[in-house]
Amino acid sequence: MNYQNPQIAETAELLLHRLSELPVKSDIFKAAELKALYDQLRTLPPEAKSAFGQEVNALRGALQAIVDEAQATEDALPPLDVTAPFAPNLKPSEQPQLLPSECGSIHPLTTEITTILDIFYRMGFEAVESREIDDEHHMFNTLNFPEGHPARDDYDTFTTTQTDASGQPYIAPAHTSTMQHRILTQHAPRLEQGIPIACVIPGRVFRNEDLDATHEHTFYQLEGIYVAKGVHAGMLMATLQTFLSTYFGQANLKTKTQPFYFPFTEPSFEFAIERPQILRKDDSAEQQWLELVGCGMIHPNVLRHAGIDPQVYTGFAWGFGIERLVMMKYGIEDIRHFEAAKLDFLRQFA
Amino acid sequence: MKISVNWIQEYLQFELPSIDELVTKIGAQLGAVESVIDLTAQYQGIVVVKVVECSKLEGSDHLNVCLIDDGGVVQGVDRNEQGLVQVVCGAPNVRAGITVAWLPPGATVPSSFGKEPFVLGSRELRGVVSNGMLASPKELAIGDSHEGILEIDFDCSPGADFAETFKLNDQIIDIENKMFTHRPDCFGQLGVAREIAGILGRPFTSPDWWLGKQRPIEVQSALPLVVKNELPELVPRFTAIALAGVTIKPSPVWLQTYLSRLGIRPINNVVDVTNYIMMLTGQPLHAYDYDQVRALDGGEAATLIARNPRDSERLTLLNGKTINPRQQAIMIATETTLIGLGGVMGGADTEVTEATTNVILECATFDMYSIRRTSMTHGIFSDAVTRFTKGQSPLQNTAILQEAAFMIADVAGASFGSEVVDLNALPEEVTARGALYPAIAINASFSNDRLGLNLTADEMAGLLGNVECAVSVDGDHLTVTMPFWRTDVEVREDIVEEVGRLYGFDKLPLELPERSIVAVVKNSLLETKRRLRERLRRTGANEVLTYSFVHGKLLEQTGQDPELAFRLGNALSPELQYYRISLMPSLLDKIHANIKTGYDEFAIFEIGKSHVLQHKDDGEDGLPLEMETLALAYAAADKLKKPGDALYTAKKYLAAIADELNIELKYVPITELPDAPMVKLYEQHRSAFVRDAASDEFLGIVGEFTAVTRKNLKLPVFAAGFELDNEALLKVSGSHSRYQALPRFPATEQDVCFRVPSELPYAELHDFVIATLAEIKPEQTKLSVAPLDLYQKDEATKQITFRLHLASYERTLTDKEVGVLVQVLAEKAQQTLNATLV
Repeated sequence: MNYQNPQIAETAELLLHRLSELPVKSDIFKAAELKALYDQLRTLPPEAKSAFGQEVNALRGALQAIVDEAQATEDALPPLDVTAPFAPNLKPSEQPQLLPSECGSIHPLTTEITTILDIFYRMGFEAVESREIDDEHHMFNTLNFPEGHPARDDYDTFTTTQTDASGQPYIAPAHTSTMQHRILTQHAPRLEQGIPIACVIPGRVFRNEDLDATHEHTFYQLEGIYVAKGVHAGMLMATLQTFLSTYFGQANLKTKTQPFYFPFTEPSFEFAIERPQILRKDDSAEQQWLELVGCGMIHPNVLRHAGIDPQVYTGFAWGFGIERLVMMKYGIEDIRHFEAAKLDFLRQFA
Repeated sequence: MKISVNWIQEYLQFELPSIDELVTKIGAQLGAVESVIDLTAQYQGIVVVKVVECSKLEGSDHLNVCLIDDGGVVQGVDRNEQGLVQVVCGAPNVRAGITVAWLPPGATVPSSFGKEPFVLGSRELRGVVSNGMLASPKELAIGDSHEGILEIDFDCSPGADFAETFKLNDQIIDIENKMFTHRPDCFGQLGVAREIAGILGRPFTSPDWWLGKQRPIEVQSALPLVVKNELPELVPRFTAIALAGVTIKPSPVWLQTYLSRLGIRPINNVVDVTNYIMMLTGQPLHAYDYDQVRALDGGEAATLIARNPRDSERLTLLNGKTINPRQQAIMIATETTLIGLGGVMGGADTEVTEATTNVILECATFDMYSIRRTSMTHGIFSDAVTRFTKGQSPLQNTAILQEAAFMIADVAGASFGSEVVDLNALPEEVTARGALYPAIAINASFSNDRLGLNLTADEMAGLLGNVECAVSVDGDHLTVTMPFWRTDVEVREDIVEEVGRLYGFDKLPLELPERSIVAVVKNSLLETKRRLRERLRRTGANEVLTYSFVHGKLLEQTGQDPELAFRLGNALSPELQYYRISLMPSLLDKIHANIKTGYDEFAIFEIGKSHVLQHKDDGEDGLPLEMETLALAYAAADKLKKPGDALYTAKKYLAAIADELNIELKYVPITELPDAPMVKLYEQHRSAFVRDAASDEFLGIVGEFTAVTRKNLKLPVFAAGFELDNEALLKVSGSHSRYQALPRFPATEQDVCFRVPSELPYAELHDFVIATLAEIKPEQTKLSVAPLDLYQKDEATKQITFRLHLASYERTLTDKEVGVLVQVLAEKAQQTLNATLV
């Protein structure tokens, strides 16, 4: 630190030297020279006060840092034999123990993802995890969102100040669809061998959204992709119906669709199922349907981008949130519990 | 997007079904319905009445006693001999002869409906009974005006139901805007009416004016109007017309109620017409004060120019805000002056006011991307922006402009001051075709294959024809030309969507794809993580999930330089500013709070991703590398006064992981702390690198935390943790079994204790003992060595005790044999490690 004010510079040099020799480092703050600087600050005219004050504070900060570091060294514990299984001189009963297994728990979101993946594995889907930092190319361009398209606004993405080779900021993906292009491109060669692309993608996604009991900026989604010859929209509905019926343990749940708009599917739907008995509170109309999944037939442009001929192959994709399923299942009242790491919450899932 | 059922009904040649059925149908085939508001309840019991007599109330400076004629329809109210009802009214415009809205006793004031309902009664005012009240537009929730009561401006007989008279016995259905991102036409009642006909399987016929069959325009009092377009790329269509001799006043009541029911505030007749037409068609219009525009250029003619702003040009908008328009914004200007932020908001100087006598009406098409950027740059979001950013069709302008002009002529008494000026920058073939895209040729089977249906070409043509697509059918083949307002149908898949939606997606056959019986290979990394979670749960640890974004302060507190982290440019708060560099800080951040809640001893772990700037281009596709790790932090509250050191508890957890993955771990003392941000929070001499013993693969780090970290995060002294690379774990994880066959002969246990120099690491002796015994033990013997005790007597030496467990597959080992074995071991240990058998 170079102090502009010669008086402060001089005092700094003096105090730093004294500090190196002090046995109790924090005594430096009792130094008369330091107090003198503060006294002087009070008497200065307002226009000179600011610059002088900043430098005095900077000096105090510098001293504090040295004192803290010395304190830390003092607090440091002696070295250990890191190769040993336990510390010396312990009674056998004092040797390190694992905690009782009944305390242990797995996070309810990961438990649910495991359960869901298990069903999709059985249905013939592979699983790939989603990225947490991505680019415009995957998040938007390859998903048929034209540059600057207002539909991009619907996603409220977080972006980084750092940029990629093309000068665009990186994106915290707002949907697991950010993986679609990768999966399609990677698996496209299989199609020619008559093997369908069947893949589910769990992952963490991000939306620039204020937190409340039902909104998180960080949440989990599960994306699904299926591409083969002769795939039609009825297959999409049947696949989702099969999954949800298995998941909720109630055969042949009724289904309902609502047209929707996503640039990367055509047609697009919001998919609902009859609310399973286990989740029904009463027989009112609001309790009748459960809207869960955004989905649609993969847009020909998305297939084309991945080198798949949409004349020959068609497919569908879907995405749904995991939190809502878990909240309904356990009656969790506040979505913010999931990432709060509170043992009060977590140990209930032991 | 709000729609009025009554308004829509006006454009349909059939009766709409019940509201419930309609809403279900809209939900299934048009878009999610957010809400339905029943206006009938809001306007219940309000009666149109005539003020027959009006006299000053004695002793009041503004109240009048009125006798009103309600046609005798309201029951249970006091009447005079002529059957008239007495109401006291303070409005300055109340007078005999006017027709007004009466809220009789028992009626609810509409503006209070749904909030704190105000129900009227009969009450005395200065000794005179007032039955209910005569209502202002504000009280009727029709406008802002509260200066006087609403005067009904056309002949209608006393006693008529107010709601019926103004079609306010209406239902407002709010459909999610997002549904119509690609359907600009559905931002108007007309477009939604057409779709509703389509999904109900009924043909829709647009009104003549919409289809361009307009009455001719006759210019009566010529107003010079010049229109120029310097931005044909961004303004494909720019149309305008001058209207002369307008009288600016409030709109007719019916017009006001049409706007108010959809949440638009009536302003004046000219502005209301532009809003009415926008609500009807989705196309925003703008009205300028003609004379103000003309005066800006000195008076020859009024000129509108679409152009970019020049340096330092500023504009004050209708909302009072003055802006420096962004350089690429589409501006509307005269020869000298900016007068509007095109497609976003008009300028204040040329606003239509009560003094306006001539107007210019503009109906333009602006590039949706440009409008979006302008709107975002200046933070202005208007009804016009909502509609322009969906990309209105440039083929609808003249029909809309003319209809609006005729309507202004009607309600504001205007005559035409110019012809329609039409600057059309569209490709000639588009204008000639009258459709944005060429006709689409499609086979019925193409749609059927993608929908799983079996419709005939004629059936498809019928569905499309209902919404006014021009379809010709030739066998299985359809040729579809979309009407001029459709911007969303460009390729065959778009036709498939139309057919499916109009037919009803809920009627598609549910049929699972066929699949082969080849087994799916599970994702090995996901499987490994699943096993680790399960194992850690069994060791009493708790899995947590924490945010991927952290506070810069947390990075600093744990010795991580924020400069090395990806930073969000639009973070919600400083707490979520940086992508995390490693998981451990997030875990440590959660320890203090849990201890405070009353958990004295626990282990939390997380499996997740972290990112460092240094590996910005090292991941797949040249993207940032995503490092996935498993981190675990163990802590015991200071008050437990745990003996020993937390490092060894953390190692117990590592041992469990090693066991799960069938690997053996090696702990390497850290002689020099590497310059990696993620290791800075570990106390060097109480931490170790973790490696796979067999392959020497680097797996991660385990250790206790620096005093600074402990202090910053209020950690107890007895705390330690580790962070391991999941990919590396997967790579080394073994599938081999460590099973050893069970000997039939009894086993022998023998404890051996060595005194060694203090500085000799435990592992060195341990490994030596195992290696030596393996060498010298009798053939066909099963051996295990376990640590039993460590004893530090003085600074120079320590004692290490192992328990040996030996069993032969061939015979019973004798004590003597074992004694010799230990003796040989002791001699070798003495020679090699200076370890003395005690």
